[in-house]
Amino acid sequence: MAEIRFENVKKTYGEDTIIPDMNMTIKDGSFTVIVGPSGCGKSTTLRMIAGLETQTEGNIYIGDRLVNDVSPGKRNVSMVFQNYALYPTMSVKGNIEFGLKNRKVPKAERQKLIEEVAEIVGLTPYLNKKPQKLSGGQRQRVALARAMVKKPDVFILDEPLSNLDAKLRQQMRSELVQLHAKLGTTFVYVTHDQVEAMSMGDEIVLLDQGEIMQMAPPLDLYNYPANRFTAQFIGTPPMNLVSVDQLPSAGFSEKAVEQIGFRPEKAKLRHFPGNDQFSMPCTILNRETLGSEIIYQLDTFAGKLYAKTFNEPVVDDEQLVVSVNNEDIYYFKENGRCIAPYLNRETPIKVRSTV
Amino acid sequence: MSRWLERFRPYLMVAPAIIVFVLFFIYPIGYMIYLSFHEWDFISPDKQFVGLDNFAGLSEHPEFLKSLENTFVFTFFSVGITTVLALLLALWINRPTRFYGFVQGAVFSPHIISLVSIAMLWMWLMDPQYGLLNWGLEMFGLPQSEWLASPETALYSIILVAIWKSIGFNTLIIIAGLQSIPPHLYEAAALDQSSRFTSFAKITFPMISPTLFFLIIMNLIGSFQVFETIDIMTQGGPLQSTNTLVYYIYEYGFRFFQLGYASSAGVILLIVLSILTVLYFFLMSRRVHYQ
Amino acid sequence: MKTSRFALKGLNVLGLLIVIAIFATPFVWMAVTSVKSLSETITFPPVWIPETIRFENFALAWDSGPFLRYFVNSLIVTLSILVLQLFTIVPAAYAFARYRFFADRVLFALTMITLMIPTQLIFLPVYLQFSSWGLLDTHLALILPFAANAFAIFMLRQTFKQVPEELLEAARLDQASEWKIMYMVMVPMAKPTIITLLLFSFITHWNDYFWPLVMTTTDASRTLPVGISALTNVEGGVAWHIMMAGNMILVVPILIIFFIAQRHIIRAFVYTGVK
Repeated sequence: MAEIRFENVKKTYGEDTIIPDMNMTIKDGSFTVIVGPSGCGKSTTLRMIAGLETQTEGNIYIGDRLVNDVSPGKRNVSMVFQNYALYPTMSVKGNIEFGLKNRKVPKAERQKLIEEVAEIVGLTPYLNKKPQKLSGGQRQRVALARAMVKKPDVFILDEPLSNLDAKLRQQMRSELVQLHAKLGTTFVYVTHDQVEAMSMGDEIVLLDQGEIMQMAPPLDLYNYPANRFTAQFIGTPPMNLVSVDQLPSAGFSEKAVEQIGFRPEKAKLRHFPGNDQFSMPCTILNRETLGSEIIYQLDTFAGKLYAKTFNEPVVDDEQLVVSVNNEDIYYFKENGRCIAPYLNRETPIKVRSTV
Repeated sequence: MSRWLERFRPYLMVAPAIIVFVLFFIYPIGYMIYLSFHEWDFISPDKQFVGLDNFAGLSEHPEFLKSLENTFVFTFFSVGITTVLALLLALWINRPTRFYGFVQGAVFSPHIISLVSIAMLWMWLMDPQYGLLNWGLEMFGLPQSEWLASPETALYSIILVAIWKSIGFNTLIIIAGLQSIPPHLYEAAALDQSSRFTSFAKITFPMISPTLFFLIIMNLIGSFQVFETIDIMTQGGPLQSTNTLVYYIYEYGFRFFQLGYASSAGVILLIVLSILTVLYFFLMSRRVHYQ
Repeated sequence: MKTSRFALKGLNVLGLLIVIAIFATPFVWMAVTSVKSLSETITFPPVWIPETIRFENFALAWDSGPFLRYFVNSLIVTLSILVLQLFTIVPAAYAFARYRFFADRVLFALTMITLMIPTQLIFLPVYLQFSSWGLLDTHLALILPFAANAFAIFMLRQTFKQVPEELLEAARLDQASEWKIMYMVMVPMAKPTIITLLLFSFITHWNDYFWPLVMTTTDASRTLPVGISALTNVEGGVAWHIMMAGNMILVVPILIIFFIAQRHIIRAFVYTGVK
């Protein structure tokens, strides 16, 4: 078990800078999810922890050990790959055993360890089968077993669920969370799916273009987005943003506010304007009825907005008013930083000025 | 220490193969070019530099010119006929049933047999007096042929054997090309009510033309090296009518010990093969990729 | 309408039978001739069914030269080539597929050039080389030039390149050495390709006539194809029945193997031909 620390880590490929300057500490025993759009550097970050890539500058620590020059095999890190990367010519048992053999673990002990993990992930009846004979979910379990058997300090998972169908993915998600609880090892999990990130992680690192946009527990990320990027990345549909210029009677006390934002699920659809600070007339462009929730696409003079309602009757009228409670409004400065005055909180996270 | 090993590992891994290539392929080519500018009989201790004399001599040497001509005739007919027949045969027998599989196997079978056996077998089939081929001609009321015994027909007889031997291999390569064409192309064409001929001209032929190009060049390279059938069936005769480039090199090097001459002829073969190879790589780099 | 389709089908089958006949008849004729008497070979029109089946022709052919010696030589030469190729091809292909090193492009280009040089081009200088080393007429002269195979390196490199990078990374995380990754992970995955290449190599060198003809001068190192070719001047005259019997010994085993493993052999050749 170990925490992972990045100190001024920089990664470039030739001319391209993937990660300009990364500093973070992944807590010991946490389930940390690194999430972000494709090309944001999340896989590179993960691979640098595993030692499959070497950083251009800076230091990486696993526990107290500086691992800059430690080869992947010696970092005591296990990895589950997106495509599982099972050795196709070896049996399930052979796959699990390969790493132990390379570490010169004695045969009797190997046998014991294999039986143990096979029991945990439910693979005991399949130990002598080849991976090609197994289903997607079973292969996933082999990959997990292979990673677990080494009793690593850090468990690394690179989009491990993306090849599974929706139902199995759901099931594996909760199994992974339970596994983490049981093992207590540090998990670092990469995904591009915010739902996966929110539902599994106890700490989320949101990356964009190689920079950490925000690092916080899931609900903090949702409630207290540090900046425009976070606010728009987390939540479906994304947070609505309205430029201040388009609001005739804005009258904000806060200076330099460029945009205001609110979550679709906080928007209310009414026939008359209420007392809320924010309300504007709108027409319904489109409805998506998903069962318990309905997503409306609205047209207003300030552009297209989304609203989401739960367990409410479908609104049929075309002409309506959309309004939001004062405390549900977020304010964004020119540099993208978010202020939520009613929540009385300004998250002190570095914000990239170009957002 | 381990870092040092790390850096040299790739070199250690390729070294055995590279040593073999340099020793037995690259260096000999250089030595052959060197010899082509010298006169040497293999026995005398020194090699005399003669510049381009060997090449000049070759250009006036009727036996060499005849062998060059024969090589080109052989190449032209054997490659041309093999390719056309193989294409037709491939279109015909490209079906997945067992029977068609057997036909494919039968057509391919000469390819795995030693050319020695094939040459001797066809010598017997082409025997002017007792051969099966003349018996067949007679059955159909056709005039008999002298086959290998006459300078007029000997080269064409050898061409016939070459076609018989290589057609199966060519056919199966083309079949592999045909099978790699995605079936949805034909389904789309069928929906567009395309005729069988249009489907062939617009889909099949363009899709297998890269395969055909490569096959033709491979066949050209192969046929410039023809030796075995000549050596066993005719030994260049009768009257030089089947003497080819490689056989010429073999005779002048091994029988008459005129190593300069033989090497010069080798250089000419090298030039021809290099042109074909460059053409091959040129086509490979421009290889049309569909989808 | 229906009858014409039926006729077309019949015509098609007839055509196919003719195709089979064109390729099978010579072999059948070889078999028939090999059990004839001398007088039966020199009759016209030819006899299809000999009066007595003379198996002693095979013994006569076998005894006409040291065929056991040829056979053993063929076996030694071919198997040595296969074993040596295995040891040179696999590491070279692996290095070319997986490492970027200083001279990799140059060395790979050299390999590709070799691929294009036929033995018919280099036999003279190599002959001179072997003669100066005193290696003429030895097994080594037949083995060494083929100890590596540029074509096989090229094909195997392609196969190795197709192995997903993730698999190698997994092995690295499993603390496997580079050497172990090669022979425990990569080679087992490339097994079908390696077998195909070895099969191809076997047939090529087992059948080879040109190289042993040039490099051998005595029966001590001659191989089967060269030995068989000497049957053309047995007993001064033409003895077709003995010649055919000798060739039967060479051809029949290969044909039997071919029809048992037809699918694999065809795949080996087509695969190595298409590239």
